Amino acid sequence: MTALLSIHDLTVRYRRDGIEVAALKGVSLDIEAGERLAIIGESGSGKSTLALAVAGLLAGSAEIGGTIGWSASQFQTPRSVTPPSVLPDISPARGEIAPSSPALQIAKVEEWEPALMLPISPLAGEMSGRTEGGAKDRQRLSLTNASIGGRDIGFVFQDPASSLDPVMPIGKQIAEVVRTHVGFAWPEAYAKAKTLLERVRLPDPESALRAYPHQLSGGQKQRVAIAAAIAAGPKLLIADEATSALDTIVQAEIVALIRRLVAEDGMTLLFISHDIALAATLAERIVVLRHGELVESGETRQIIAAPRHAYTRALLDAHLSLDAEPLLDRQGASA
Amino acid sequence: MSVLAVSNLSKRYRRGGKPFAAVDDVSFEIGLAETLALAGPSGSGKSTIARLVLRLIEPDAGRIEFEGADFLSLSGGALRARRARLQMVFQDPLAAFNPRATVARVLDDPLRIHGIASRAERPRRIAALLERVGLDAGLAGRAIHEISGGQRQRVAIARAIATRPSLIVLDEAVSALDVSVRGQILELLLDLQRQERIAYLFISHDLGVIRAVAHRVVILDAGRIVESGDARTVIASPQSAIGKALVAATPKLVRTSQDAA
Repeated sequence: MTALLSIHDLTVRYRRDGIEVAALKGVSLDIEAGERLAIIGESGSGKSTLALAVAGLLAGSAEIGGTIGWSASQFQTPRSVTPPSVLPDISPARGEIAPSSPALQIAKVEEWEPALMLPISPLAGEMSGRTEGGAKDRQRLSLTNASIGGRDIGFVFQDPASSLDPVMPIGKQIAEVVRTHVGFAWPEAYAKAKTLLERVRLPDPESALRAYPHQLSGGQKQRVAIAAAIAAGPKLLIADEATSALDTIVQAEIVALIRRLVAEDGMTLLFISHDIALAATLAERIVVLRHGELVESGETRQIIAAPRHAYTRALLDAHLSLDAEPLLDRQGASA
Repeated sequence: MSVLAVSNLSKRYRRGGKPFAAVDDVSFEIGLAETLALAGPSGSGKSTIARLVLRLIEPDAGRIEFEGADFLSLSGGALRARRARLQMVFQDPLAAFNPRATVARVLDDPLRIHGIASRAERPRRIAALLERVGLDAGLAGRAIHEISGGQRQRVAIARAIATRPSLIVLDEAVSALDVSVRGQILELLLDLQRQERIAYLFISHDLGVIRAVAHRVVILDAGRIVESGDARTVIASPQSAIGKALVAATPKLVRTSQDAA
């Protein structure tokens, strides 16, 4: 396999309440073309920061060090479409991702004062699955001058209600992506949007084109967000806690949908999750992050059956499976 | 003796101009120091039942008996007095609290409102409550937004037990927590149940969590009870279509060599 992208010594720091917070500390990682890779971690692990960094969506104020190198041969030839390129499901009109040269070098920030480096704030909370970062003022350099455009990356966020425009029919939202990135005229873009809604198995795609997000259920909205994310035929699909706000049954349906679409289109999948059991059902390889550091990575089977790191084992032990001894019994026994 | 007995409870809403039953003829009981879980997909009526039991909304039909009294007929002072015995913890404690309040303020309110402790006595009671839920008493002066999600949920539990309730409604109370924190909060809840004989109405979409802590489970679909019984038995061999779907959809972790070790 060839690496689709190669992350080397990636460090990202934010300023939060006047305190410097290191969200990622020297993470190195290759993502192979066509693989399904899961990034696992609890809150404050840096998993969402990693996803945003790969997509070039970090806040402009974030300090970034290290490199993210893209294999040029893996990407479609850059096309000149205007506006440059936007990721499908975020606010349009911001094209900070422009095509050009292969492996890009993220600007080196000046040597950091080690004393200023703090771990992820313990106050940041233990709640999982929050993705930060507004739509304005994103990562400056990231993908600039890389041979990759926004259409090469599809991004599915946790909350489809906030990634879809509430006052635009969903057909138009998807067609807009097709128009921008593939260069279709509106009628063809709408036809493509309908095909995409069929592919994500939205009931009655014809009338769904004219529906507004609020008329759909949470699971249906996430299907629409996925349709928009794959509309331009991306090489890489990033799903950041894309099923965390959904109930168990809908979650399983969306995971099955992602698995099918990734296989059909030969996409590379970056699946970000706090749930190691869920990730194991989908990914071939798992990377475990904690406090911004890469703790362990390996084949899913190895990570689950023979984790090398104590933290990975703790995560696995904390999973409440349907065949484990109930806590109720353990408590009763010790009482 | 049952702490809570719900019979033939119904609540209808209108959706898109058409009436639909959010809760449809639901009956169940919860015994002393028992945990009854409500499971079901989104929109199955779990949270509506929680809100009805707490009387945050009123039912269209049915009866709620709490501690042997007709809970729906209570009003005014009698309702307020009885409410001290019925507490709640929600999914997101940050949304449930005033974020600018301090931990002490959050715990002071129930003690003051329900006349449980005098002004002079309250700081000591607050410290004791914090210790009871595994927090340092020194946390009292911190603002709610300054503490971690797990700490916040412990404060929510401390507030809930401040009035010595016989029943706590836990609506997805551990769903947003990191797994490492979730286990500790579940242990705390079980410990409180054993020590203080508190019953829980435990709402969750996660069968793994339900199986870990609940004695019995009720499975809901479209506002109706489709199945109920011993939590382990129901989850091991669900009979209803939705019960089967919930079990099938729960991610399984096969840890072969680790289990053998």
